[in-house]
Amino acid sequence: MTQETLLCTLQAEFGAALAGPDPAAPKRLLVDIDRARLPEIARRLIAEGGRYQVGVGTDDRARGAGFGIIHLFAFDRDGFAVAVCSSAPAEAPEFPSITPDIPAAGWTEREYRDLLGFRFPGHPKPKKLILADDWPDGIYPLRKDVPYNLVPPSAEDVAYELDEAPPGTTTVPVGPFHTSLHEPAHFAVYVDGETIKGCDYRGFMTHRGIEKLCQTQVSYNEIPFVAERICGICGSVHATAYAQAVEEAAGLPVPRRAEFIRVLMLELERIHSHLLWLGVAGHLIGFDTIFMHAWRVREPVMWLSERITGNRKTYGMVVLGGVRRDISPETAADIRSVLKTVETEVLGLKAAVLKDSSIHKRTKGVGHMPKAEAVLWGLLGPVARARGIDIDARRDHPYAAYDELAFDVPTADSCDVWGTVLVRLLEVFESVKIMRQALDKMPAGPILAEPLEALPAYRHGLSMVEAPRGESVHYVITGEENRPERWRVRAPTYNNLQGVPRMLLDNQFADFPIIVGSIDPCFSCTDRAVVVEQGTGRRRVLGRPELTALSRAGRM
Amino acid sequence: MRYFLPLINILIFLLLAPLFEGLLRKLTARIQSRQGPPLVQPYYDLFKLLGKESLNSAGTWPFRLAPLLAFAAILVVVAAVPFGFRMNALAGRMDGILVVYLLTLGGVAVLMGALAGRNTFGMIGASREMVTMIMVEPVLAMTLVLGAVKLKTLTLAAAMPSAAGAGFGLSSVLMLAVYLLALQAFVARQPFDIAEAEVELLEGPMIEYSGPNLALFKYAAMMKRMFYAWLFVSAFVPVLRTGIYPLDLVLQLLAMVVLFAGIGLVGATNPRLRIDQAVRYYAVLIVWALAAVGLAVKGW
Repeated sequence: MTQETLLCTLQAEFGAALAGPDPAAPKRLLVDIDRARLPEIARRLIAEGGRYQVGVGTDDRARGAGFGIIHLFAFDRDGFAVAVCSSAPAEAPEFPSITPDIPAAGWTEREYRDLLGFRFPGHPKPKKLILADDWPDGIYPLRKDVPYNLVPPSAEDVAYELDEAPPGTTTVPVGPFHTSLHEPAHFAVYVDGETIKGCDYRGFMTHRGIEKLCQTQVSYNEIPFVAERICGICGSVHATAYAQAVEEAAGLPVPRRAEFIRVLMLELERIHSHLLWLGVAGHLIGFDTIFMHAWRVREPVMWLSERITGNRKTYGMVVLGGVRRDISPETAADIRSVLKTVETEVLGLKAAVLKDSSIHKRTKGVGHMPKAEAVLWGLLGPVARARGIDIDARRDHPYAAYDELAFDVPTADSCDVWGTVLVRLLEVFESVKIMRQALDKMPAGPILAEPLEALPAYRHGLSMVEAPRGESVHYVITGEENRPERWRVRAPTYNNLQGVPRMLLDNQFADFPIIVGSIDPCFSCTDRAVVVEQGTGRRRVLGRPELTALSRAGRM
Repeated sequence: MRYFLPLINILIFLLLAPLFEGLLRKLTARIQSRQGPPLVQPYYDLFKLLGKESLNSAGTWPFRLAPLLAFAAILVVVAAVPFGFRMNALAGRMDGILVVYLLTLGGVAVLMGALAGRNTFGMIGASREMVTMIMVEPVLAMTLVLGAVKLKTLTLAAAMPSAAGAGFGLSSVLMLAVYLLALQAFVARQPFDIAEAEVELLEGPMIEYSGPNLALFKYAAMMKRMFYAWLFVSAFVPVLRTGIYPLDLVLQLLAMVVLFAGIGLVGATNPRLRIDQAVRYYAVLIVWALAAVGLAVKGW
């Protein structure tokens, strides 16, 4: 199926309700629909094989168009994406809820209920999601007339009302601060004895409104560096995704060499992220030896990143139209030698993990979720691939230089945490493969495109980048003042976390850390936050030899 | 001399228990390719905790009493045991059953503290602790009963080192295996540190404790670990018995170092089990322990 055949199907069925079919870019389809028929078209798209990605709420009142919502659907097998737009008058921002059909849309709708004041009749859980519990009613921070730095007075004695606990259960509060969570978030876990019978999630405690900030204060070229700080792990992912969305909207061509360098950074990030996760997963089942060794193997990758970009993490490589630093032949040789070491070491780790019967005991059958439900919840990345869903944005919606690179997408059918471990371990080898090919095939040439004078306004750009945890979606509508009119970020945790309460059901409480850990939750991605740590003033610089000496007494 | 021996026992345990703990930590660190803390770190930790303000966060007397009770119970046990195969004044007045009771009392004190603390995580930890206690205590009791069956007396002096002393039969070999398999649970190390599972329960039963109270619990746990190591060496390693008290002491301590190295190795190479998985494991151990006693009754 192509987007043209899908458009014909939709036009036949929805006729006059469907307007403005617009091939925004190759492989993208933009349609307008009467808001009353949103649930119908959403159901239709899902039936045709679409996968719900996220919704984008917009405030178009300045242009006399009221409010809008854009629901995004990806057709992975056919490699295109559909954006379904609809609008509502400014005085009655009401859209029928599509959540009853598509549970994965639950958070999107709750998000715009909070941030834009939309109403979604039919939503099964119309509760606060993002705003603080003491945020006053009637102020919707994402509306254009609300200043970005508004700080309403805080209120006492307001608290989020948890879902009612199932009868016969006790509530165990995991969070807002808990050792198995590395960032603030609150899971109210309802347990009967040690068996989990339900769970309510209250997060978004570190929401800092990056989208609003960038739509009002920052310019196009500065945003990649802010985007990179959305997540401490997938910095390049967000920077690349943002840059690609703007490049698509503005029609800005990127030099081929820059695209290869982006691939190198993305894959380097994946290797380090998978090793980091493997360590954390080990720690969460009380196996710190795996933790220590996975992180030891990860170390050379971080030092390599420093030699390439000047930073161990948050590389600052990606800008609109290309990248900031070239890869010299010496660096390329350096990359190859580190890849070789990492590959050998990870082979050892893989053997140790796959053969350990205790690890099997702690991960097999844990966090089980059948494939059909995983599709329903829109799970992404290794979490989905562990449940037999064969999706990978790198292959399905090729970007950067991935169309030229050959690689496999490992999947598992155990539908549990074990599958996730397996998939993530195997992916490390695929990344090594991709990086070697990229080094071989990289053409010579410039690494940065000529900048455009001004980007055209009100053009839509959608970009999908496969982060280590799954697909990240960035949606950009270009604006007038050298910054986006609307920039929507959807990190993979946003989807995966919505499925966690279902994954927890009927498992033991002792499995809670590893089940939540198996999606590698990134609350800061979900909350779209930045945390800046300020030092005490006293500084001591520790280089690699000092750090190694401190931790290992000189052993490698 | 017999009257000084309990004091010597207490001194040895108080002085060396943190060192054994340090050994475990150092060994774990080396397996994990880390430098690890200095061997004497547990002493620093205890001193630091003992120097802190004593808080009664639950505000009730059972909460304050629990650490004292746990510490006192283990002190009495270690005072009475025939360390270095040498009978002392207390050992004659106690028997194996009392030792089991005292060790259980230490466990009950932990439960009492956790329940008095009224913390959700503490409660879950306490329930896991209780399950562990019920399931592994029989193995300890059977070890003592085995000696008693062989020598036809329950007195401590006879019961403890006797499994070896009365001839190393099939029953002793079986019991030795069972004891080794239960050892990790006795000392609450991975894969059986389930009650305090740091990532999910944040130290479980100990969560509300701080300062000197926590120090007492930790100290008691370290001494308990040392006791279980000693019991193994004393009951199942007969070759170390020379008859010269100081030499016996040193040999026993060295054997305990070896045993602790094993504990560290197993701990570092296993993830933590879930309580339901552990219970199935313990149940098998109980059956084998019973079988060992059965064999001993038959005279094997």
